[in-house]
Amino acid sequence: MTESADDVRTRPAAGDVAALTARLRADYGERVVTSHAVREQHGHGEGLADAALPDVVVFPHGNEEVAAVVRLCSATRIPVIAFGVGTSLEGHVAALYGGVCLDLSQMNRVLEINAEDLDCRAQAGVTREQLNAELKGTGLFFPIDPGANATLGGMASTRASGTNAVRYGTMRENVLGLTVVTADGRIVRTGSRARKSSAGYDLTRLYVGAEGTLGIITEVQLRLYGIPEAISAAVCQFPDLKSAVDTVIVATQLGIPVARVELLDGVQMDACIRYSRLDGFEARPTLFFEFHGTEAGVREQAQTIQSLAADHGGSAFQWASAAEDRSRLWKARHNAYYAVLALAPGRQAFATDACVPISRLTECVLETQADVATTGLVAPIVGHVGDGNFHLVILFDPGSADERARAEALARRVSLRAIAMGGTCTGEHGIGVHKLDALVAEHGDAVSLMQTIKRALDPHDIMNPGKTVPMPGRG
Amino acid sequence: MAEAALAELQERVRAAAAERRPLRIRGGGTKDFYGQALAGEVLDTRSLSGIVSYEPTELVVTARAGTPLSEIEDALAARGQMLAFEPPHHGDGTTLGGVVAAGFSGPRRASAGAARDFVLGVRIVDGSGGALAFGGRVIKNVAGFDVSRLMCGALGTLGVLTEVSLKCVPRPRVETTRVIDCDAGEAIRRINEWGAKPLPISATCHYAGRLWLRLSGAAAAVQSAAGTIGGSDVGASAPWRGLRDQVHDFFRPACEGRATLWRLSVSSTAPWTDFGGDMLIEWGGALRWLIPRAPVDAAALRAWAQQHGGHATLYRGPDKSAGAFQPLSPAVLGLHQRLKAVFDPQGVLNRGRLYAGF
Ligand SMILES: Cc1cc2nc3c(=O)[nH]c(=O)nc-3n(C[C@H](O)[C@H](O)[C@H](O)COP(=O)(O)OP(=O)(O)OC[C@H]3O[C@@H](n4cnc5c(N)ncnc54)[C@H](O)[C@@H]3O)c2cc1C
Ligand SMILES: Cc1cc2nc3c(=O)[nH]c(=O)nc-3n(C[C@H](O)[C@H](O)[C@H](O)COP(=O)(O)OP(=O)(O)OC[C@H]3O[C@@H](n4cnc5c(N)ncnc54)[C@H](O)[C@@H]3O)c2cc1C
Repeated sequence: MTESADDVRTRPAAGDVAALTARLRADYGERVVTSHAVREQHGHGEGLADAALPDVVVFPHGNEEVAAVVRLCSATRIPVIAFGVGTSLEGHVAALYGGVCLDLSQMNRVLEINAEDLDCRAQAGVTREQLNAELKGTGLFFPIDPGANATLGGMASTRASGTNAVRYGTMRENVLGLTVVTADGRIVRTGSRARKSSAGYDLTRLYVGAEGTLGIITEVQLRLYGIPEAISAAVCQFPDLKSAVDTVIVATQLGIPVARVELLDGVQMDACIRYSRLDGFEARPTLFFEFHGTEAGVREQAQTIQSLAADHGGSAFQWASAAEDRSRLWKARHNAYYAVLALAPGRQAFATDACVPISRLTECVLETQADVATTGLVAPIVGHVGDGNFHLVILFDPGSADERARAEALARRVSLRAIAMGGTCTGEHGIGVHKLDALVAEHGDAVSLMQTIKRALDPHDIMNPGKTVPMPGRG
Repeated sequence: MAEAALAELQERVRAAAAERRPLRIRGGGTKDFYGQALAGEVLDTRSLSGIVSYEPTELVVTARAGTPLSEIEDALAARGQMLAFEPPHHGDGTTLGGVVAAGFSGPRRASAGAARDFVLGVRIVDGSGGALAFGGRVIKNVAGFDVSRLMCGALGTLGVLTEVSLKCVPRPRVETTRVIDCDAGEAIRRINEWGAKPLPISATCHYAGRLWLRLSGAAAAVQSAAGTIGGSDVGASAPWRGLRDQVHDFFRPACEGRATLWRLSVSSTAPWTDFGGDMLIEWGGALRWLIPRAPVDAAALRAWAQQHGGHATLYRGPDKSAGAFQPLSPAVLGLHQRLKAVFDPQGVLNRGRLYAGF
């Protein structure tokens, strides 16, 4: 096809899709699925789950197969949407223009574990829990733990983070290299096992977070960490939000390497107490801590934090050093989203993702709570407080257009408030399709350069079209 | 004043672009030795100087690209903070823009992360003279493509950095250096073994039969690690400052132009290999500096580095005919050319500094 990238993106011609499907069937047999149920399941992620179905779902098994499918799609400008396990929250995987969904979940082999080098290489469809299960016995672990059991390819593509970003960083810092299939179907390796990224431009960083709009990640090289000799967890409750946040600010400035610190507001704590049957806690602003290190180091960190918390009116620490107690506490945190849903059966929820400079965090959260109060909606707050990132989990009645509109308006105000405070509309979930306008509000002119990058690396606009960067003249 | 300097810089880039005339971006000019031959009229960034904001509570500093690195480091030190990647510099000349453009990191790299890991946001002037901002001042930001990190190590070929926001860290409360006598093979084995443990090792160096390890952190953790590692305390004679700024004796022949310096970036467990010359090992084994006695076969050296997961840079030397940087595969080169065309369609910025042709 000869159309240029400036052409308006439309759905591909039905004949082209039929021809492609026939060709894919011939090559991959039962790994090509067109049933409505499977297409429906691949047409949406979590969050505001408005589906847009792909025409066909393919389950590739290796780099070459992915490249071959992309080349076929490129020839007739048929969209290609990479799919991990579909836990992304901003409409990332919706097939806005139909096309081929490449479900990478069968590319699920861990290819190498280099224990001494503290790295590993895995296919994109390996999930984070699977990787950690396979690391058992090596004394190593992969720390990034978003609240869902996502694939490594999906996590790289959304630049995901978990609860311990302050200590271990996010996907951005922990992906050493990638194998990528480019929009013209070439297989490219970026980065290397060496600690410094390879010679030339840091292409790894460009594909990490590109949400499948520049290429398909087929393999990831990741940094691993030694399992700490000692781990302990503690929970501390505060009279108000500011005291909790201030405790974390002081700790950060002292350089105390807290592995995890999570903030739950009173409403969220209430939900968690009921859902996870936590005893001995009140519905007040609460910090969950975890400390990693040597026995001596952990003891020292914990003591320092405990006295800081006390200075800020915090309650006595509730400790959990035994593995079961720790995992029970953290499970309660990880299940926060489900705890919120349980508050109002029949409602749906979606999360905001603002991130602000930590000195503005208290202000931003308090303004946001006041804002929530005016809407009449229920929207508890959980925050990765160490990095200024917090989520409002907004409940709404899917049957009420008005309530959904109010919920979306609230979410938009949260994004704009964060941007106005020198922060971002998204600290970890990404842009997808729901935050395109917020991206423009945040980045202004720089968006046009991002568009140029998109055009340069995907001239036919086939890679997950309609996501991440708004393309002028397109849907 | 800063606005006027920025406007002037934009104007110069615009004029150069109109005539497709190459510009050579220069901060302190302390790195002129690095990369391919320099071409074009000098575009000095030092008129864009000064710290724009520094909020110790945030652990974030934002400064104009022409700011001397030493000025930034002094401001941080006054509040008990530092740049975790220990950027190399020399004298007062080194600028922030140069450090980020070169993507250089010092001894703490292996434990703390690289320069790019600390870049939160940048402002640039692209090859058409447009002023653009990417990223921001928060630790986590996943809004759109990660352009700010792409600038790191691009050696100014994608844009003139005009402002950079960096994450900084508190200085470690306690720092001590241990030294152990051992050969290079043994050093590589030991540091990799220790590297997998939760020890607060913040730098390593092996040279001339001795292994230095720096421990940084809280008192108790440092003390117990010193016990695990053994060796003796070296006090003030630790090599880190000299390594960082490459004024350590090892580098002297290369800095004085009497020898060639290769930088081998490899997997930390790559076996010690004798290339016939002097070698210094940093970054837990991942960075090996080589001053060969006799001219080496560049292709063979690069093949060795590649086999061990990395690449070899002809870092310093009178003869760069072998190319400063490891050649790129055709597909990767294609991506580079396309990105260069996005940012600098007329090819004015540091043309040929990274690779011939762009
Ligand atoms: C309950 C819950 C909690 C969550 N908590 C967090 C959290 O704490 N932190 C966080 O960061 N996120 C969180 N998320 C969001 C989500 O888990 C992450 O965005 C995750 O990285 C998505 O991975 P996935 O495998 O599900 O990818 P998908 O949803 O399948 O895909 C995500 C995006 O990446 C693209 N993609 C997927 N695989 C590839 C590939 N191999 N190559 C190129 N592009 C690809 C897709 O096209 C899509 O644009 C949460 C989600 C839920 C439902
Ligand atoms: C004698 C001596 C020896 C040294 N040896 C070493 C060494 O061996 N290893 C080492 O790591 N460091 C070394 N350095 C340290 C070096 O000074 C720093 O690493 C630093 O990167 C150079 O910064 P600069 O501001 O001087 O950059 P410059 O040399 O002015 O610039 C470096 C590169 O960045 C580009 N650039 C500069 N400013 C910008 C900008 N604002 N926007 C875009 N691009 C820009 C330049 O065009 C150039 O490509 C040495 C310094 C000296 C004086």
